Amino acid sequence: MRKALIFSFLFLLTASLLPAQESMHTVEFQYAGRSVLVPKLGNRVEVIPILALIGAGAEYSLSAGTYVVALGEQRLQFTPGHKLVLANGVLLNTKEAAVPSPGGIAASISFVDQSLLGPLGFRLEPIPQGYRIAPGARFADPVSVRPAAADFAATTTLVLTLDRATAAVAEPAEDGGIVVRFDDSSPRLDPTARLQSRRVRSITSNGREVVIKTSPDIGLLNSHLLDDPPRVIIELGAVIPKPTPAPAQALERSGPPPIVIDPGHGGKDTGAVGGNGLTERDLTMAVAQRLAAELEARGLAVRLTRDDGEGRALTDRTALANRLEAKLFVSLHANASTFSSVRGAETYYMSLDAQATDAAAAATAKLENEAGEASDERSDLDLILWDLAQTSALNESAELAVAVQTRLNALLDLRDRGVKQAPFVVLTGATMPAILVEIGFLSNPAEASRLARPEHQQELARAIATGIEAFLR
Amino acid sequence: MNRRVFWIIAAAGVSLALLVWLLAGPGRRVVNRQEVVEIDALPTPTPAPEQRVMLLFGGSDGMLHPELRSVPMPAEVHERVRMVVLEVLAGPTGDLQPVVPWPAELNVVFVDNKGNAFIDLSAPPEPLTGSHTELLLAYGLVDSILLNCPELTAVQILFGGQEVPTLTGHLDFSRPLVLNKRFIAS
Repeated sequence: MRKALIFSFLFLLTASLLPAQESMHTVEFQYAGRSVLVPKLGNRVEVIPILALIGAGAEYSLSAGTYVVALGEQRLQFTPGHKLVLANGVLLNTKEAAVPSPGGIAASISFVDQSLLGPLGFRLEPIPQGYRIAPGARFADPVSVRPAAADFAATTTLVLTLDRATAAVAEPAEDGGIVVRFDDSSPRLDPTARLQSRRVRSITSNGREVVIKTSPDIGLLNSHLLDDPPRVIIELGAVIPKPTPAPAQALERSGPPPIVIDPGHGGKDTGAVGGNGLTERDLTMAVAQRLAAELEARGLAVRLTRDDGEGRALTDRTALANRLEAKLFVSLHANASTFSSVRGAETYYMSLDAQATDAAAAATAKLENEAGEASDERSDLDLILWDLAQTSALNESAELAVAVQTRLNALLDLRDRGVKQAPFVVLTGATMPAILVEIGFLSNPAEASRLARPEHQQELARAIATGIEAFLR
Repeated sequence: MNRRVFWIIAAAGVSLALLVWLLAGPGRRVVNRQEVVEIDALPTPTPAPEQRVMLLFGGSDGMLHPELRSVPMPAEVHERVRMVVLEVLAGPTGDLQPVVPWPAELNVVFVDNKGNAFIDLSAPPEPLTGSHTELLLAYGLVDSILLNCPELTAVQILFGGQEVPTLTGHLDFSRPLVLNKRFIAS
């Protein structure tokens, strides 16, 4: 009898738990009057049924390992096991990764909400039996943004101070101005902040981005993030060079425009290190000081971007040259290669990618169209002038590079590696002829020994100074 | 055990079953509205036809040199980018040198609808130095991809799942790079 009772009790208990089994292994998602029970795997859920519920198609590229999710114009890509999502052309770093699962791909509820449904324009709302998918993205914790601006002669430095660290990227907006995108954060502008700038028209937030409207022809020169306190530094300036020179009264600098010499690396960043222990940081400073003395002896004003031993952000170096309205910007570096046989000097100037050029031209045309007053002839003329100015600036940098490289080639035993173009960070946004000189390879033992000799450093400085002087004549 | 104990245990069992059913029950009320979304089985890969690709590696002159190789090239662009990058990471077969100077793994391949490819490599285990190292790495990969995937216009390289402003303090890695043949030996 006792056994029968225990058996009956266990039978009843098991039978009663059966309905709960499915709900313990599934989560219900509702959208537009429909619902689906989605398999649950630990703290993750199968993703494909959720995407299917909102009408999004998911394709898997088997050998590339990439999922492509499409919903109308929206397009997401992600790879199982990796914390990256490409959402409508914008890279997002996610806190966690989706993982392979029996149904294809599984992810946590927060990943589904913030990294998949959010970029597609949806959000998850918890309900007793699971989640309801609602239109309208909901983003993560708010971040307070306090803007401040300082106008200089040719540029404006805009500082967005944040109340907590978060990833942010400043990019030129398609309709002009600048957009600052915040990863996984909803920016809220500090309503008490007051901002005055002749190059900034307005700053607004749409919940995901800070949108900065600028004065005509003013755009993003460069930007970077700083810590303690966390802030986004944005350098604004003329992105469409004017064919007419700036008025004299706009200059705030005293004395003649200097030549800004940038000794590469600095501080804890030693750069390349030769087998003889010579560091790029110390070598470029030694040559920069000798070059400054050479140029000053020839009656030219000079300014260095850093002191001995001090580090400085790459974008700050160009910004300094822009603020000083420098005549020229010359960045000095020493090279390193995995091939120890490679040696010689080379000089670089900025490469404007075809895409960037096209984008800027398109932005110019759009600005003109939006103005509504400009005739087609004026738009065409401005585009031609802009193109000429860009070409002129690049041509000047190319001429300076050739002048310097020619003198470096004349040095005994210095192999000519030529003049080349590449998108170097330190040359980005420079508003004057700007070059980067690689004075030799520290990875080549013979060249490293020669570079360590003070007399050779003096020869290099003299050769570069002669090239600069020839360009300025 | 008497009849009274039996009924107490039976009542407790039924109560417990009722409680569990009530807790789990509401979700069951929508059964008539549920849909079952069929999950297709993963497709079986079909072998892609072999095609000659041009891959770029470093030469002793410090320039990029082409190496021709026949590899299976799928039609889908993500897969072709992955194939080219894996071949570049595998290194040259002749006298040339690898352009990625550490045993990097390819984590992610994305392609947007503007013709930009994004590739994520495992980060270098130690800091690299020299613009030459940076330039050969960048254009060895970018040019190899763009020369073999003509529908693409630019490639952004990420390291360790992160967008990096620069790798050794020179080249701008924060945006996609376009084809640059200046580093390919003529």
